Amino acid sequence: MIPSGDYIRILPEIVLSIFGMLVMVIDPLLGENDDRKSIGVVSAIGALLALGATFIMAGHPGEAFYNILRVDDFAVFFHVVVILIALACILMSFEYLKVQEIRQGEYYGLILFGTVGMCLMSSAIELVMLFVAIEISSISTYILAGFRRRAAESAESSLKYFLLGSFATAFFLYGIALMYGATGSTNVDAIAAALRQGTPVMAYLAIALMMVGLGFKVAAAPFQVWTPDVYEGAPAPVVALMSTGPKAAAFAVLLRVLFGTAAPGWFWAVWIAAALSMTIGNFGALVQTNVKRMLAYSSIAHAGYLLVAFIAVRNMEQGVSAAMFYTAAYAAMNVGAFAVVSHFASAGEKYVSIEDYAGLGRRSPVLAAVLTVFLLSLIGIPITGGFFAKFYVFRAAVSSNLIWLTVIGLVNSAIGSYYYLRLLVMMYMKEPQSEESVPSVPFAAGFAMAGCVVATLYLGVFPNRVLQFAIESARTLVH
Amino acid sequence: MAEITTLHYLVVAAALFLTGVIGVLTRRNVIIILMSIELILNAVNLNLVAFSRLYNLHGQVFAIFIIADAAAEAAIALGILIAFFRNKETVNMDEVDLLKW
Amino acid sequence: MNAASLNPMILTLVTFLPALGAVLLMLFPRRARDIRWFALGISIATFVLSLHLPWHFVNGHPGFQFQVDRQWITTPNIHYHIGVDGISLWLVVLTTFLTPFCVLISWKSVNDRVKEFFILLLLLETAMIGVFIALDLFLFYFFWEATLIPMALIIGMFGHERRIYAAVKFFLYTMVASVFMLIAIIWLYAHTGSFDFVVIQGMLASGQLVIPAHIAQWLFLGFFIAFAVKVPLFPLHTWLPDAHVEAPAAGSVLLAGVLLKMGTYGLLRFNLGLFPELARRNAPWIIVLAIIGIIYGALVAMVQPNLKKLIAYSSVSHLGFVVLGIFSFTQAGLNGAMFIMLSHGVTTGALFLLAGMLYERRHTYDITEYGGLATPMPIYASFFLIITLASIGLPLLNGFIGEYLVLTGSFQARARWGILAASGVIWSACYMLWLYQRVFYGEVKREVNNTLADVNARERTCLWPLAAAALIMGVLPMVWLRPVEPAVSRVLAFSTAQVQSAAPSTMSNVNAAAPVAAPVAAAVPTHTEQENGR
Repeated sequence: MIPSGDYIRILPEIVLSIFGMLVMVIDPLLGENDDRKSIGVVSAIGALLALGATFIMAGHPGEAFYNILRVDDFAVFFHVVVILIALACILMSFEYLKVQEIRQGEYYGLILFGTVGMCLMSSAIELVMLFVAIEISSISTYILAGFRRRAAESAESSLKYFLLGSFATAFFLYGIALMYGATGSTNVDAIAAALRQGTPVMAYLAIALMMVGLGFKVAAAPFQVWTPDVYEGAPAPVVALMSTGPKAAAFAVLLRVLFGTAAPGWFWAVWIAAALSMTIGNFGALVQTNVKRMLAYSSIAHAGYLLVAFIAVRNMEQGVSAAMFYTAAYAAMNVGAFAVVSHFASAGEKYVSIEDYAGLGRRSPVLAAVLTVFLLSLIGIPITGGFFAKFYVFRAAVSSNLIWLTVIGLVNSAIGSYYYLRLLVMMYMKEPQSEESVPSVPFAAGFAMAGCVVATLYLGVFPNRVLQFAIESARTLVH
Repeated sequence: MAEITTLHYLVVAAALFLTGVIGVLTRRNVIIILMSIELILNAVNLNLVAFSRLYNLHGQVFAIFIIADAAAEAAIALGILIAFFRNKETVNMDEVDLLKW
Repeated sequence: MNAASLNPMILTLVTFLPALGAVLLMLFPRRARDIRWFALGISIATFVLSLHLPWHFVNGHPGFQFQVDRQWITTPNIHYHIGVDGISLWLVVLTTFLTPFCVLISWKSVNDRVKEFFILLLLLETAMIGVFIALDLFLFYFFWEATLIPMALIIGMFGHERRIYAAVKFFLYTMVASVFMLIAIIWLYAHTGSFDFVVIQGMLASGQLVIPAHIAQWLFLGFFIAFAVKVPLFPLHTWLPDAHVEAPAAGSVLLAGVLLKMGTYGLLRFNLGLFPELARRNAPWIIVLAIIGIIYGALVAMVQPNLKKLIAYSSVSHLGFVVLGIFSFTQAGLNGAMFIMLSHGVTTGALFLLAGMLYERRHTYDITEYGGLATPMPIYASFFLIITLASIGLPLLNGFIGEYLVLTGSFQARARWGILAASGVIWSACYMLWLYQRVFYGEVKREVNNTLADVNARERTCLWPLAAAALIMGVLPMVWLRPVEPAVSRVLAFSTAQVQSAAPSTMSNVNAAAPVAAPVAAAVPTHTEQENGR
């Protein structure tokens, strides 16, 4: 008999699933020409309720369903981050779907289901559960990437994402199988206990394979090649989701797997991956002309910064909390940036090249100012969340004596500022090329942008509470 | 005749895994790439079931989950492929070239 | 209400009043006139408020005054710790003093995106004041970076033809350089658990924190590079001429008047304050760079066909004096460095204002376009003359005091340096007077120049206070130097004490550092000998 408390520990997932199904049911009930916005409203309510459910869940920490899930501060943190990301993406999709003439209710359903997967990823402590959660989130995003069905780029992006994603999952699974062989268990705690006894060679192989799989999911070099293509082709709000949500969740998995299992031997692998990701990401972004591709490369670079926190092994608590803070800050600024991009893209995603942003500061001062906040945060300028995110990561690195990696990282971030700056230059220092007026921002998308601005600045001015929470949850994770 | 040990299973699984990886990396037809990924998944299944002999039933349960997931993935894959085929009239990866790799 | 009761909050008020004004401006309707008046009001109010600082400043007190120390973020341990001492006091006032003129000079010349311009200007003022008052390294870095964006945008949005190139160059130079400072700051935090300048300085002085010699050198360089780019020290100066030439008049004024001082202030406060021993050890090559900067800047200024570029290169030369003064480690040199920072702010600020006025009329900075302007614009010409003479360093005007002190200091330290640097004074007379001659004397070569209007009331409002300041500073230098002196001697005393105490302690603690420490110990007596010998 499963104790009823267990259901509370998956309450957000239950709420999200119910609303996901509700959306799927409502869609065919609406007439062919009805406005599909109501579906969006329903799913936004679902996300909000799930957020509430997370707080109820937070009051009941502990294991659930025969030790396959654990609700701790760590899980709560990522639940909140992921659900907020989903909410923002839903809000910015109202207008986007209308402009792009995508009229399917499943879109929102898939976002909600995908969120279920991401939430479960952060609380799973059993590798079977973890695998199922990863698949739920991945399959939803594979489909979402191809949602502009009439655009060949979108279908292509979806296909690429699918092929590389499932290839990566297969690696991850092979790693799990070997880990099971090496330790006789698929539970994170039991694996940790077994690995403390001694480390069979197979366990190293298993960790390596699992890291390949997760490396694909977080788009860390050298497994980053799919990112720019997929981000360029996929619908902009979906990119907002998949560049942050599954990534945050995958980082949660990495943290749980690497720290939770006390797995050995990944220090140099992550060191190299971090250095490579930062360098490839930043240099790749320098030459891009498409904003979505540029942000894709920037997301590779940011994955690199985040990985730096992982190897701050001398002070794991600092490292883990820095990584958590980074995911939150990155989510706020990147979702915000994509919200602006998806609003500005207009029908058929016409305006996505950097040149199109020329004179935006004149054509739409507010939109430009909003994007400026996100870009400054991505550069890492003070009073934005991006600054503290980087600051915490590199502080953890310096405390662990990773001076070289810190130097590589900070020099990279200085180089990186150039391409964000290019967009700023376009917006403020070039004259507009088109006389067409920028459509005014509708309420829902505006709300999403405002939320991201507030979150970015909040994390930049009062990072204390979030960081404290991250430190406490890191404590529960590392013990 | 020699007994079939766990190691034998592992070798077969590793061979399957490698076949799959090579298939994904070298073949250009999307359908074949998909089949190669399925091969890797089957290698995983074989591993899990073989290890299951040593420990407990977890491995076999896991394998069942993977089989179910493989089915789901195949369905999605074909759906995406059809959408793609409508746009491009091809299933050859070399012609997937709108976006730079 | 007693005015002294303002003391605890005055710095916060002065710093954030412009930012508050900027926020209010965002809500303003786009009526250029109201925006201008509002920005002027805010900047004047800030100036008036900032006068509270020298008024209530306790002279002869070497430490920080008007301090506020509040916890801002608990992890990491970041404080909102602000305060001024003699070094930063006048720099704050200089900043608030120059900003109203920037508003006035932009009155007519900025017609497009007026609202954005004044928002950026006011934000820049807050950030600049913040740099000078921050006593928490983190807070300092925060304001330091915060100056970057508004300045880059002012250059890039409101500048001249090659403005984008200049803005990006300015941004990248400063950004890349300050990254090294950030690494050094993070390192210090990781090993002390504090960002507080006073705390870290105390720990270093009392030997609680012993930094291994090779790491200390890197930390010193980390701070040094960030500041050297800002100063700008030869050979990192190449962004400066571009930024100056392309910036709008207000941008140039603040860039030369205040932003460059941030670099020298940083050298004085952090490089000397935290690593006195290393500062002494590195002084020779830094001084060589400074002297190269003095002479190179002057020579290049001489051949510039562009008015603004000429002034820009003259800044390179003048700031070389400041660095020379700082690294001469003498009371006179440091006093002089402080004084040049102030007088250069006033005179170069004024020169850029004058250049801006000329540009408003003729839309060119090309010196050959002018000539004989003394006839159509006599008042303008006389103002220009006063400022030119001040810049050259004519006695009774402000430029003289600072250069004299720095030269005295460097002669005390090593006569060779003094002689080389003194040649810079001669060069500066050459290029400034030649400039004056080419622009104002002779025949009016271009017909349009005959029709140029002389300075109007608004422009006179700008020029009178600056000319008066140049004169007052020259006649009454002690008024300005009195608060500066204790603070400067404190830095100096600290550095001497540090060198003496550090030498034995490093030798006993770290064997590996012994060979490095020995020459330092040897350097101390030589230095005292020189001082005794004069």
